[in-house]
Amino acid sequence: MKSPSATLSLPRFRLHLRPIRMAEVGFLVFLAVVMGLPLLFLLSGSFNLAAPGKPAVYGFGNWQRAFTDPGTLSALWMSFLLSVVRLIPAMILSVMFAWLIARTDMPGGRFIESACWIAYFVPDFPLVLAWILLLDPNFGFLNSLAKSLPFVEGPIFNPYGFLGIVWVHTSTGGIWFKVMLLVPVFRRLGATLEEAARVAGANTTAMLWRITLPVLSPMILAVAVLSFIRGLQSFNTELLLGTPVGIYVYSTKIYDYLQREPRAYGEATALGSVFLFVLAILLFFYWRYLSGNKKFTVVTGQGYSTLRVKLGRWRYAALAGCLLYVAVMMLLPLAFLVIGSFMRRYGFFNIASPFTLNHWYNLLADPIFLVALKNSLIIASVTAIGGILLYSALAYLLVSRRTITAPVLESLCWVPHVLPGILLSLGVLWLFLATPLRFFLYGTVWGIAFALILADSPVTTQAFKAGLLQLGADLEESARVSGASWAYAYRRILLPLLAPIAAAVGLMNFGSALTSISTPVLLYSHQSRPLAILLLEYSFTGELERAAALGLLITLIIGSMMLIARKLGLQLSRSD
Amino acid sequence: MAQTVLEFRAVVKRFQSVNAVDGISFSLQAGEIFTLLGPSGCGKTTTLRLVAGLEEPDAGEILIDGKAVAAPERGLCLPPEKRHLGMVFQSYAIWPHLTVFENIAFPLRVRRETGEVVRRRVEQALEVVGLGGFAERGATQLSGGQQQRVALARALVYEPAILLLDEPLSNLDAKLREQMRVEIRALQRKLGLTVLYVTHDQAEAMTLSDRIAVVQRGRFEQVGTPEEIYENPATPFVAEFLGRMLSFEGTVSRNHTGSWVEFSQGAGRSAPSSLSESLSHGTRVRVLTRPEDVEILGAGELTANQLAAIIEQVAYLGDRFEYHVRAAGVQFVLSAPKKQRFRPGDAVRLCLDSGRLHCRPL
Repeated sequence: MKSPSATLSLPRFRLHLRPIRMAEVGFLVFLAVVMGLPLLFLLSGSFNLAAPGKPAVYGFGNWQRAFTDPGTLSALWMSFLLSVVRLIPAMILSVMFAWLIARTDMPGGRFIESACWIAYFVPDFPLVLAWILLLDPNFGFLNSLAKSLPFVEGPIFNPYGFLGIVWVHTSTGGIWFKVMLLVPVFRRLGATLEEAARVAGANTTAMLWRITLPVLSPMILAVAVLSFIRGLQSFNTELLLGTPVGIYVYSTKIYDYLQREPRAYGEATALGSVFLFVLAILLFFYWRYLSGNKKFTVVTGQGYSTLRVKLGRWRYAALAGCLLYVAVMMLLPLAFLVIGSFMRRYGFFNIASPFTLNHWYNLLADPIFLVALKNSLIIASVTAIGGILLYSALAYLLVSRRTITAPVLESLCWVPHVLPGILLSLGVLWLFLATPLRFFLYGTVWGIAFALILADSPVTTQAFKAGLLQLGADLEESARVSGASWAYAYRRILLPLLAPIAAAVGLMNFGSALTSISTPVLLYSHQSRPLAILLLEYSFTGELERAAALGLLITLIIGSMMLIARKLGLQLSRSD
Repeated sequence: MAQTVLEFRAVVKRFQSVNAVDGISFSLQAGEIFTLLGPSGCGKTTTLRLVAGLEEPDAGEILIDGKAVAAPERGLCLPPEKRHLGMVFQSYAIWPHLTVFENIAFPLRVRRETGEVVRRRVEQALEVVGLGGFAERGATQLSGGQQQRVALARALVYEPAILLLDEPLSNLDAKLREQMRVEIRALQRKLGLTVLYVTHDQAEAMTLSDRIAVVQRGRFEQVGTPEEIYENPATPFVAEFLGRMLSFEGTVSRNHTGSWVEFSQGAGRSAPSSLSESLSHGTRVRVLTRPEDVEILGAGELTANQLAAIIEQVAYLGDRFEYHVRAAGVQFVLSAPKKQRFRPGDAVRLCLDSGRLHCRPL
């Protein structure tokens, strides 16, 4: 299209591709501004000694202060250490789960898969609260239980600290998402590879160790690296369980800097930039690994496997193990969240009439709660609808094959996928404070929705892209040849066909907007405080029972939305 | 005199630096089936999409009914919906959220026909493709063959200037494919349709087409009736693409009694009627023939247009024999009827049809 002899046809470009070119340029500018500028402000802000919005004074003072603070490096180190350590049990368990579900005759595999799907959407903050209710040294239920045993002196469990964080992560983020990613990988493994191993004389164990796992190892490693990078973004658990005992990761450290009076923007930004730099290096190698690895092509073998490993009597043991894990890691904390929300004083089972509805009454009657609920609903709706409009258009542009800048657009919309919420929040904060945007967006629900829409860009765009690719260009083109204008074809053909995806993605983004803490935490004000931040405040002020009620309420809203989304055909776990 | 419905004038379409369509010119007459035949990636589908307006040419001119619809030099390119065409996609592109009726009604609704007209014409179209009574089915409840008919009905319902068919039969099983081939041909005759047909299947092209263009690397290798291009392939590519060709090497001999070709290794001689005067005595040539034009005879005296050969292997295929034969230093496979039977090692004669031989200098 761009060969030198095409100079004659240049006017044609102007005449006919103008709308789509304009859309492309528009998107490019928009994405560069909203994704790129926060990053740029983050980097330049780290050299700015003045507070945001004040005349800039450049220097290395922030970096100096950040790195002479012994807490900074230890926070970075702790981020990596935590992310690596909790990855090990999570990977082993999720590979086992995925193998049992996809490759063996374990009964109830579909059920376990659905359980993982649902567990993935249970918001993590209420779960962290629930584990506090269970494990707290003073009032934790399991500790009280243990105390009644002989030879036990004092509390034996303690959620505050390194091991507590690892344990709670195994319950919250832990294995659910990895299982959802790995099950299709195990399912898609060409049956012939395993069958050939069988014919060659391998028993189940030999086949598993010498064929199945080695063949899948690139994919498993990819999932592990992805989880590691996502793990670095964690904020909530570390905030609740690490900060009280002085364990900081970089994200809680940034939060800490910004809670000081006056806010230490400079140090926070410097720390964020360092982390960004490390992250960029990690991502570069991850990307190199993914794109350079030809082994991936083997895995996309043909068809489904009919060969399932027969576990014999062990199949029930396997199922019991899976069920036990789900029960302990998900049902137990959820149950205690319910109990906690109905207890007069949590942990005191022996007082007269220990149970009460008061916390629910107080919560629902609290004017602050009502404002937060309204804020949350506005934020989540705007996020969901805005995301659908913006990213369906972007996906259409990317799929239409007519954009020259598709790779740039594509990588811009992946930025938030790896950018931790707190850094995105910090970058957006800089964007608001240093530009006239602060008059419209700073401290408002719109500003929070803006940041959340950015955070949703990778998944939403990919969902629409996948949908459009699956539909194929033919459906639209045949409408055009049949005589429909672009707008008519879009309205009558593409829109109805994309509606289920839009609804499902919208619900998902609605849900994540409701539960996100790390993204709005630097952007809210008292007028725009959403529910999740209110939950954070309740748990800081020790109103655990009311926090449990609010956490449960949020969980219920999310749960019902996800069930609707699933009915609408959103199938995250099957990529066919 | 048939009227020209579609005309290509030196049309070029580039993808990056590759010329997918490399200066093609042709015209399509009213009421004919014109087929673009070629291997995948040869540019035939791109050509079709250029007609539909789904791709924009980089140079040249495309005219429909004498009016330019794409002329990049003048900055002209009508969008697909303004070209009044019907198209059947390889995937059928049946809209899954609409019923059969609404799928077929779509082109009429776009053109704001009244409800009565829509109903009548959709029913007609359904009758024509043999799907009467299917109107209220969901489009996804149909079999492959039925979807194909819906796609056809949808393309025909508003009587387009040209019907564009992009490998419409390639997703059907062999039996259905044959049946649809006959039906499309009958439909085209009955309605007097002008059809531009794209396929990579030579049998499909041969049975359906009035004229075939064999396409390779974005160019037309040869245009002609099925018989012309099969019997007189203009290039080795065309010959190879449309069935097999046997090739023997030899030397031209001329004296006062006439001219002929001596095959190498003294295997025999032949006097192709197409032997050109420009090939002088002693020129090395390649003699080409279709295998079905070669007859196997038992051992005996070699006469003109015969080659000495040895049977090397025999395969029994039920309806015929397949012989692996070696002659003039070349090994090849010939089919023969069951009435005669040779064994491996038998010396035989191959009888050539001098009227169907092609000579090319080496």
